[in-house]
Amino acid sequence: MAEVFSGKDAIVVQDLTKRYDNFTLNKISFHVPMGTIMGFVGENGAGKTTTIKAILGLIHTDGGKISVLGSDSRDVPKEKKAWIGVVLDGSNLHENLNLRDINFIMKRIYPSWEEATFFAYVKKFNLPDNKNIKEFSRGMKMKLSIAIALSHGAKLLILDEATSGLDPMVRDEILDIFLEFIQDEEHTILLSSHIISDIEKIADYVTFIHKGSIVFSENKDDLIYQHGVIHCRKEEARQIDPSYIVGIRENSYGAEVLIQNKDAFQRRYRQYQIERTSIEEIMLFVSRGKERM
Amino acid sequence: MYGLIWKDIINLKRYIKIFAVFFLVYGFMAFAQKDISFITGIFTLMFAILTMSTYSYDEMSQWDVYALTMPITRKDIVRGKYMLMLLLVLFGSIFSAVFAILINAVIGSENIFAGIGASFIGAAVVILFYSILLPFITKLGIEKARIILFVVCMVPFLIVLFIKKAVNTGVVRVPDQMLQFCETAHQYQYLLMLVVLVVCLSISYFISLQIYHKKEF
Repeated sequence: MAEVFSGKDAIVVQDLTKRYDNFTLNKISFHVPMGTIMGFVGENGAGKTTTIKAILGLIHTDGGKISVLGSDSRDVPKEKKAWIGVVLDGSNLHENLNLRDINFIMKRIYPSWEEATFFAYVKKFNLPDNKNIKEFSRGMKMKLSIAIALSHGAKLLILDEATSGLDPMVRDEILDIFLEFIQDEEHTILLSSHIISDIEKIADYVTFIHKGSIVFSENKDDLIYQHGVIHCRKEEARQIDPSYIVGIRENSYGAEVLIQNKDAFQRRYRQYQIERTSIEEIMLFVSRGKERM
Repeated sequence: MYGLIWKDIINLKRYIKIFAVFFLVYGFMAFAQKDISFITGIFTLMFAILTMSTYSYDEMSQWDVYALTMPITRKDIVRGKYMLMLLLVLFGSIFSAVFAILINAVIGSENIFAGIGASFIGAAVVILFYSILLPFITKLGIEKARIILFVVCMVPFLIVLFIKKAVNTGVVRVPDQMLQFCETAHQYQYLLMLVVLVVCLSISYFISLQIYHKKEF
């Protein structure tokens, strides 16, 4: 865990706690290094949106600290808030406005609003400039939110399910835009999604939240490199040192075991062939393993 | 914060046509009857009601959540709404006054400024009414606050009606000191009105601010 309010992290969340009647965000900690893309994954209701709302200061927390661009999330100065581009899981724009109205309003809200950039994205995304937002599809509304987030000189993008509701072609196009954005080493993205393939494609780090707790928050390549899957008989699986096992999936033919510390495991158990795994598979094994516990 | 006020004004632009029709119809009626008494204050009220429409628009689109991620503070949002309300009331009363003067001039009324006082008293009443209502809207949202709106309108009306009836039938005798006080107050009515408005608005704004700071989205 990095030091709280470290200058090298765009976001630091430490021991964040938030209690609701039927859900608790339980002392979660992770940090998003500057210049990287953090994929924030977890099933629906795991606590992704609650965490993002806490980072954005939209809810009051019951414990812990959050730093955003070096400031306490409850009190981020306006100059810094202008550096944050946010896409929420919904349009949140008034239905009877059109693109020119939005440009007019945003120009008066963001001190560094870039009108030309905004209309360039509008053109790139094929957004109709003669229609009101109520006539936009969900995908169009999402693209509009992304265009706004990218048009005021943001250094940090916080995106809550920004790619859901988009068709695969557009999703790919937007992921490329995010990769372009991250070329500047001062730029950072926190991208929450339940579409793991998007995260696998662009994220440098992955934070996995499950039932209000962080399961892991690590470098994506390390995660994939350190984990692997072996196939064996059920009784063989029981003989493996439990410290290597992340999860076991049993069926009538045998067992699939997700292994961590792949190299050390291989040195000790030379008889098994270790298969490469994916973030999605790791998540499934981990969450099922947790449920068994 | 000015961006927020612009956002509300742009959202209200659809009312321009409806208002234009109203002005024409009322103007024609006033001209035909050579009497402007029934239109005084009505425009002030019409403009003032628009404040509530902006709350509806914001709620429908869940704008506040989004706005708070921008370089906008919670205080800006509350202040923006109070400013918008005052702007609309002011604009409404000026508009209504100009309209009254125009109609007076056209129908050749003896007093060209007739009806202007009423439109400004209407403005004061509207501001007072919003001072009570805005903290409720901030707390409950516009939909639930509509019930409060009804109460806020009805309670003073019923109280006045009750007192009037009680006094007229002789059940209650108004103390002389109170009558004296009312006469003195009447002399300074405009000053008194201003003081009451400033005090009520300040208290209301402070309460709304407290409520909004505690809000979760």
